Amino acid sequence: MNNSHMGKYAAGFGLSLVVTVLLNAVILVIKEISTPVMSVMKAILGHHWTTHGSLLIVIYIVLGCLFSATGFKDRLDSGKLLKYIIWAVVISVIIIAGFFLPGLNITATIKY
Amino acid sequence: MLHVLFGVLGILFAVALFVDVLNAHEGNYRRIKKLSSAVAILIVLAFLIGGYWYVVYYGADREIIKAGKWPWAHNYFMEVKEHIFFSLLLLSIYLPIAVHGVMPLNNKKKKNLILGICALIILLGLFMEGAGGIISKGVTMGLGR
Repeated sequence: MNNSHMGKYAAGFGLSLVVTVLLNAVILVIKEISTPVMSVMKAILGHHWTTHGSLLIVIYIVLGCLFSATGFKDRLDSGKLLKYIIWAVVISVIIIAGFFLPGLNITATIKY
Repeated sequence: MLHVLFGVLGILFAVALFVDVLNAHEGNYRRIKKLSSAVAILIVLAFLIGGYWYVVYYGADREIIKAGKWPWAHNYFMEVKEHIFFSLLLLSIYLPIAVHGVMPLNNKKKKNLILGICALIILLGLFMEGAGGIISKGVTMGLGR
């Protein structure tokens, strides 16, 4: 085993983290552009944000257990996993921050 | 506003963990494990308390902000904050799993994994605090103060 390899849970839940962080941005875009999806998410737990968060946590745990049970720990080292995590967070932040950019209408509030 | 306190403490503990991992040796492995668990617990507490506050009480503030001079405090900063927070939450929950999974920290790549996760938690956490400040100011502006 390579010295930079990790335990099966660190590898499995690490990979699950990558997928879930990206899924966060995807779910956001889908619920914001689709009124029926937003309505369903509001109906499930009373607030779209509560449903969104709960869904992500459930997916994170399920995928984490699933990935931990497979042989990812032998194929994944700490260096690779860190790269995947950083890219997932950066892409997710760009999608979320970019999606709401039209709401950042600061110039309209500035009086010349 | 307890969620702000827990959030700040989570960031500070992540900074402490970052420094401890930079100087990792057998003597501080136990503290590294405890700090990683503390970060996760503090951010989860911030999520639960902040989430409750957001769902139950934020609606009134939102209307004040949107009718005020800084509507973008909600339209941009709150919308971005409430969704990017999920990444911070998941990173924090993963932190103790990663720390326990890579022990002993006798390899540069293993250390870098923990340092990278800590850095992301610190950066996202600081954004949460900054955005929270802008949102609060949005309410003040909306009240015409």
